[in-house]
Amino acid sequence: MLKFNSKLILSTSTAAALAILTVGCMGNTSTDKVILATNQVNGKATIDGGNIYPVINGKTGPYYVNPQVKAIAPKLYNGRIPTANELAAWDKDVMADGTGLPEGSGTAEEGSDIYDEKCASCHGDFGSGSGTYPALSKGNAYEVHKTLKNNRWKDPEADGPVRVFGSYWPQVSTLFWYIQDGMPHPFSKSLTDDEVYALVAYILNVNEMKIDGVEVDDNYVLDREKFLKIKMPNRDGFEPNIAGPHALDDVRAYYANPANFGGQKVKANERCMKNCQEKTARTIRIKNGGIKDFLPPLSDVRDLPAEKKGSLDVAAAYENSCAMCHSNGSGPAPGSKSEWAPYLADGKDSVYDKGIKGTNSGMPAKGGSSLSDADFKMVVDYLINGK
Amino acid sequence: MDNKKSNQNIDRRDFFKKAAASVTAIAGTSLISSNARADDPAIMKHVPWGQTWGDPVTKDRYGVPSKYEHNVLRRNTALLASGNYRASIAVTPIQESMGIITPNGLFFSRSHGGTAHVDPNQYRLMIHGLVEKPIVLTLEQLKKYPSVTRTHFIECPANGGQEWRGPQFNSVQFAKGFMSSAEWTGVYLKTILADLGLKKEALWMLAEGSDNSEMGRTIPVDKVLDDAMLVWGQNGEALRPEQGYPVRILLPGWEGNLCVKWLKRLEFATEPWYCKEETSKYTDLKPTGKAIQHFYANEVNSTVTSPSPEIDWTSLKDGDIVEIEGLAWSGMGTITGVDLSFDGGRNYVEAKLKGLVLPKSWTRWSYIHTYKKGERLLLTSRAMDDAGYIQPTIDQEVSVMGVEAVYHRNAVETWEVTQSGQVNHVEIRTMKEVKDA
Repeated sequence: MLKFNSKLILSTSTAAALAILTVGCMGNTSTDKVILATNQVNGKATIDGGNIYPVINGKTGPYYVNPQVKAIAPKLYNGRIPTANELAAWDKDVMADGTGLPEGSGTAEEGSDIYDEKCASCHGDFGSGSGTYPALSKGNAYEVHKTLKNNRWKDPEADGPVRVFGSYWPQVSTLFWYIQDGMPHPFSKSLTDDEVYALVAYILNVNEMKIDGVEVDDNYVLDREKFLKIKMPNRDGFEPNIAGPHALDDVRAYYANPANFGGQKVKANERCMKNCQEKTARTIRIKNGGIKDFLPPLSDVRDLPAEKKGSLDVAAAYENSCAMCHSNGSGPAPGSKSEWAPYLADGKDSVYDKGIKGTNSGMPAKGGSSLSDADFKMVVDYLINGK
Repeated sequence: MDNKKSNQNIDRRDFFKKAAASVTAIAGTSLISSNARADDPAIMKHVPWGQTWGDPVTKDRYGVPSKYEHNVLRRNTALLASGNYRASIAVTPIQESMGIITPNGLFFSRSHGGTAHVDPNQYRLMIHGLVEKPIVLTLEQLKKYPSVTRTHFIECPANGGQEWRGPQFNSVQFAKGFMSSAEWTGVYLKTILADLGLKKEALWMLAEGSDNSEMGRTIPVDKVLDDAMLVWGQNGEALRPEQGYPVRILLPGWEGNLCVKWLKRLEFATEPWYCKEETSKYTDLKPTGKAIQHFYANEVNSTVTSPSPEIDWTSLKDGDIVEIEGLAWSGMGTITGVDLSFDGGRNYVEAKLKGLVLPKSWTRWSYIHTYKKGERLLLTSRAMDDAGYIQPTIDQEVSVMGVEAVYHRNAVETWEVTQSGQVNHVEIRTMKEVKDA
């Protein structure tokens, strides 16, 4: 447990001194109301560059603390020890050194088939992205990585940085772990280990990445051993250092220096009150009308809400659950006879049934909505017949 | 009945027309010449709710707001619609917020796989890894630990993050509403760990959710042993599903994303995890090409909430006395002061703090202003905290962070009050001219 050096807190903490000073400025001269804060723990800087509020005279900041708790806490064990099987069932994370990475294998070609079936409807062809789902590749990872130095700070119309898996992510373990736990988005935790290996191989392939100098082509067989050799182009692209036994000291040192993260520190009585902007600063306005597709639209009117017609707002249900795919070509568009024809070949009941249960080609059960079957069928009718 | 209603409407219009002429009386200049004013039908006539039974107490066993408040809502935009609104955000109407607490139904909602609905009877929390004694807890067992209650804001670090390259939202709800505040009840994680026994070599903790995305983040043990809480209470009731029912981790002052919801597992280790939301996202790319990772605390920040694009001054008259009001907050300490500028952050006066001033909490401030008809103002607020930080100018922040960082933007924000009293979101900065497309 951490021990706080109370001498340090009361005498030398610059933060505590500042608190006294600024409270005084606000006309409150009663020192017993000063909130005791410190930015030091055991003589080290805090981990985030901010203050903490150690328990002093039975209080942390303004809050009273029950002093009995500290004494009894070491005797409280309210649960039970997990079984080995329970630990294995939940401890599925994959760490950068390969801890947790299962055995298995797959090729980029196998991954391509799985991708087209289960991923492309959201992430676009070849991971190019679609709608509001992220792109997984923007071409050769080693080339795209170079764009990370692009910054539209001085020229708003210049090219910006491109942050996708290949160019930006520091560790490939993140990709395996996230696909395994979170993908496909509406049916997560449904892929086998081999399928995840195949998908990782495919995503490396569309990012034109190499493992140990060898290009990940269609027939490349990715397995655990090869996976552990993958080096991401941006693995050294992050600060502060978080690896190794001294990582926390590195983090503390980083946040102790506001210049690292754009922070400004000042003594309250020395802060700027006159001429605080650059002479070149001017008023920048919202361009092109800005973003205003707010839902629902902004309003502060206090009246009685409009009465809803019927129990289901079909158009709203479509917007909430269907539009994302059915308005961008990923699914048949509302009222499009040609696009709906192949789906209707087996009759409308078949469309209802597939919609209610979901399909392997990306249609989530009921579009991810919680509509009743009857209400959902009304939305399907709306999709087939148009607005 | 219809006839009566329309008469009332005419009366009411008439009243407002006449009342407009003497509205300065409200400002206290002319209370005596009140004979010219019409009688207010809201006073002169019986009101419908005064002549009939109201609802029985048996109605609404869980109360809801007045139906007249139906426009006070969380809102969303297609710009932030990721994953069919399942990896998305709905933001809090902070222009309507009062005091330093957000009602639970308006608390901003952000998830990475949709709002999970966890069965509390099937809830389990596992703590394992580099501890002497691992543990599995049911919800009931967790709640047996001695509790603490603390008031803290939770802020998405992308609050204001759409506006690094210039203002985009003419709205305080969207410009600053990726945050909310509540009084949280739970147990300090250090209280549970006192018996489990953290091993000396443990530096990092993984917090993992049970939702569809299994959202996880790596947390350094410094925070775990300071003020990290496992919370089940929000403003005196159970957490709302949108805030992680039944249990989330609360890291006071730190990125909302770190405060993992629907919490299922805590693991301790010597190395960090590289979760998706601490690598691909929630990292701040600088002009050097390097990105800040593990950027924990939301820095000192503030905004004017009234006036704001949503609350304009078009109805003010010359000489009206008006309270300029806002919020200040810091994830690095306690707010010690707020300054207010009428010229876009060039010159400042001291604003006044109001109400409770708590660590890592929203803090209310205000300043009384006498409005001059036709004045054009650039209202900028600037907060300071007891860790010694002050909000930077946009030029100061951008000179270190560039404009591609997405997260942790805390430079001062400006509202332009036009001569007609409209309020526009602007930024005061050095920037190359870009024409409208």
